[in-house]
Amino acid sequence: MSYHYNEAFENPDYHNSETLESGRRKASQMNSMFRQNPYDSSPYDSYTDHDGREQRQSYSVDIPMATMQPGLEVSQSAKRWGTPNANPYGNTHINHSFEYEPEFTYTPPSTLSTVDGPFARRSSDASEEEKIIRNLASMTTRERIKAIQKMPKTMKEKREIRNKVLMEKTRKSVSYSTEIHCCTQCMYKIALSYRRFRNGLSELFQSLQLWQKTLKIIGGKFGTSVLSYFVFLTWLLTFNIFSFLVNFSFVTIPQFIAAGSNNLSFTGLELLTGAGYFQQTVLYYGFYTNSTITKIENSTSYDMQLAYIFTIGIYFVICFFSLVYSMAKSFRNNFVNPQTYSGNAGKLLCIWDFNITNEKAVRLKQKNLSTQIKEALSEGKSEDLNLSLKQRMVHIAIHLAAWIFSLGTTAVCCTCVYYLSINNLKLFMKGDGTELENQAATLVLPIVVSLLNLLTPFVFSLLELLEKFQYPRNQIYVTITRNVILKMSIIGILCYYWLNIVATSATECWETLVGQDIYRLVVVDFLFCLLGSFFGEFIRRIIGTKCLKNLGVPEFDIARNVLGLIYVQTLTWIGIFFSPLLPAIQIIFFFIIFYVKKVSLMMNCQPPRKVWRASQMTTLFIFLLFFPSFTGVLSVVAITIWRLNPSEKCGPFRGLSSIFDAVSRWIDVLTNYPRSAWVVWIYHNLIESVHFFFILTVIIIIITYLYWQIIEGRKIMVRLLHEQIINEGKDKMFLLEKLRALQASTRDTPARKGASQQFSTTSSLYQPPGQLDQQRHLSMPNYLERPLEKNKSSFSAKPPYTADFPETSGFLPGDPQRQQPSTKPGVSEALALAMRARQQAEREMEDEDEEDFRS
Amino acid sequence: MGNKQTIFTDEQLDAYQDCTFFTRKEILRLHGRYHEMAPNVVPMDYTKDPDVKLPMQLIINMPELKENPFRERIVESFSEDGEGNLSFNDFVDMFSVLSEMAPRELKAIYAFKIYDFNTDNFICKADLENTLNKLTREELTAEESVLVCEKVIEEADMDGDGKLGFSDFENMISKAPDFLR
Repeated sequence: MSYHYNEAFENPDYHNSETLESGRRKASQMNSMFRQNPYDSSPYDSYTDHDGREQRQSYSVDIPMATMQPGLEVSQSAKRWGTPNANPYGNTHINHSFEYEPEFTYTPPSTLSTVDGPFARRSSDASEEEKIIRNLASMTTRERIKAIQKMPKTMKEKREIRNKVLMEKTRKSVSYSTEIHCCTQCMYKIALSYRRFRNGLSELFQSLQLWQKTLKIIGGKFGTSVLSYFVFLTWLLTFNIFSFLVNFSFVTIPQFIAAGSNNLSFTGLELLTGAGYFQQTVLYYGFYTNSTITKIENSTSYDMQLAYIFTIGIYFVICFFSLVYSMAKSFRNNFVNPQTYSGNAGKLLCIWDFNITNEKAVRLKQKNLSTQIKEALSEGKSEDLNLSLKQRMVHIAIHLAAWIFSLGTTAVCCTCVYYLSINNLKLFMKGDGTELENQAATLVLPIVVSLLNLLTPFVFSLLELLEKFQYPRNQIYVTITRNVILKMSIIGILCYYWLNIVATSATECWETLVGQDIYRLVVVDFLFCLLGSFFGEFIRRIIGTKCLKNLGVPEFDIARNVLGLIYVQTLTWIGIFFSPLLPAIQIIFFFIIFYVKKVSLMMNCQPPRKVWRASQMTTLFIFLLFFPSFTGVLSVVAITIWRLNPSEKCGPFRGLSSIFDAVSRWIDVLTNYPRSAWVVWIYHNLIESVHFFFILTVIIIIITYLYWQIIEGRKIMVRLLHEQIINEGKDKMFLLEKLRALQASTRDTPARKGASQQFSTTSSLYQPPGQLDQQRHLSMPNYLERPLEKNKSSFSAKPPYTADFPETSGFLPGDPQRQQPSTKPGVSEALALAMRARQQAEREMEDEDEEDFRS
Repeated sequence: MGNKQTIFTDEQLDAYQDCTFFTRKEILRLHGRYHEMAPNVVPMDYTKDPDVKLPMQLIINMPELKENPFRERIVESFSEDGEGNLSFNDFVDMFSVLSEMAPRELKAIYAFKIYDFNTDNFICKADLENTLNKLTREELTAEESVLVCEKVIEEADMDGDGKLGFSDFENMISKAPDFLR
């Protein structure tokens, strides 16, 4: 028995067969093949002596119906399980006491497992493989590599395929142009070196990726859930790096060229308040000039106004698209199928986090899992107890009260912030007291805001204890919603204060004032974050391990931390307009936060005990970053640009009635130049035109509606397919019933009896004949029974036995009807076969009776 | 570069790159790790594809796998002989599939193999019980684990054959986005 690799199954479809449809298609293909030439390429034979690794897999993709009788299956599997097997996992294990090769050769060809040597198989192998290779050869290099990488095969096979594809390719190119052989060789070499260069480049990029190793360590120690926080952090960091680069190169550098000297003193407190010395630096809007910058006479000049507005505008557009892109991607990956397994199936087979490599983490995870499963079991028992009406009312009342309380708290916080900020502004306008006092007074507002942000979530988490949610998932969502409402309404009230009160106040440069406010908020929030990880995690651990032992080590609260990040990022986005270098500060802070959180995590925390659906949570967080956060920022910036009056005496837009005037003036200038007429046209017809936006909106609404309909259609389709699968399953069961009935009716023919005795002698070592008998029937429709062949004995004994059923062969090979390829699924076809076979058998029995009667 | 040439030829490295999700450097590093485990057996020079296999016992002691409850199954699923002896090719294959670059479909195929303890092509009740034991360190009572396994099969078995075929498995993990991240 030679072990050559399975090439018959290098089916190009195979690795794409994600959908049931393709699996089914393949099944029917195979059936048709089987029917077409039942004699010369019995699948049973043709798949026998390959290495089983891949095929086995593909079989199960195609026709998952090895043994279909539950009862039988149990006994069988139990048997297999129980048998001490020297080699239980292997693909190549064959019981050598029962080699099936010789038996094949003696098997009469009129049976189920018709055999005619390995030649037919080889040829089909070869053609299959050729097909794949041709397919691969026709792809582009990139696609081909991807396809090969995805093949679920061993490296050796993959390399073989790859080499063959390459040969095919070169052969083709040679046959196309034998005379310019040298040239193609040259091209090939160039392509090869280019590819090597590109691979090297991607290697370089990979090494540039921040903290790759640290992230791996965190993932290994704490699992994917905690990792998702850090991934989110690095993602935000790259956002900020990008925005810093853009702002710095297009706004700040030109400003440096034109900048005057700064004559304010630097004391150090400014680092905290952002006022004083910083007022006259590139950090704030107010410092930027409104002039055009020309270094060399008569050359093109740099218009600061336009640079400012376009840089920030384009940055927001890019942000918008990248957010939408990542959100859509995340949705597509994680919410495609909203129907999720809340039950045990997912828990058992999908829950293991293969990232974890740390011993302690593994133990902890295993412990958590077992408690979870136990809880789920006890829940399953108590679920039947329906709550009475009164209890339900109590539940609803508690939820309502909790919501009213949390919303009330939020409202109180907002009012508090609002009055404090107005007070703050008054204090600033009066300007009495020393400089130091004034500066210190400005810190009151950010400290209060940060305190509210830090403490109110704790109050909310106390509410969790009161409300008892049935599912922990709901609890997480409710808590997140409450916190988001709190944070966003605080930011909202601050924006109202900035845009409606500060902007209309009689300050000299309100934009700088707003910029300073945001700077202070960001800095103080950063400090509170550090304090939070010190007190919340370090001190908490000390208490938990030294004083109150039952508190234990704190868990890392992913939701709270991520919401903090979203809050800070929102502030930064708002601040970009008023203080273009805010991203730089944010970069520094994120860097520090990353390391502080990492150290604090490693030292103090344990992974969260609850099931944390990391990927869905990540999607939710990206969505939150987009929806209240980024869209809110966009509207704030839009109001600033279109509605508000910029300050008279500072900033790039001084003297204009609104910031957008800068653009309209530029367009007015451009109308004089015929060469840039297209810009003017675009401006008038697209940007300023109401009609354009109206039409655009209508088109987008129509497209959305169409997609909505498509989704609805698909949902129905999925439901139908699901039902179909269930029906197929029933079909199968029915078919088996029929087969069993047939078998029972044919058993008592004397000739067969003898044969079965003969058979039982050969196989009695392993299984009682009855069982084997059944097996034969089971395996008949699905010749794909891989494991059984691999698990030797029963199968090796099969061929001689099957030979004793002349009438059964009648419904398999050589039937002209069945040689036509059928588009129907194989199961119903097989069912028809069973019915006919049974009829035939009955007729035969009648004939026999008649003969008896006559004699 | 000089050092690299002694381990693999350029063609070999290209082939590895095309067939796995790894870069050149990573393949060389993998070879380093492979060599490290048994310096006497594994040659430094791999240009002639020597037929060397390392036994499972060595592989499962790697820090990456050491704590994984499924380590034996992982190694077995990737070994060509099914007994857990890994050649360098198998070794690279294993890490390629386990790497984060590998697509989910591919991971699903191998995950199915890993969970299919008795290699009968189906995840049957016995497989599930095995999995459960590995996951919980046998802390559940026999009754509980039977109950859980029954529930799992009930939930995920769509064609009613009382065990999970690959299509059942695939369907299930399509609904669990956290699967094998």
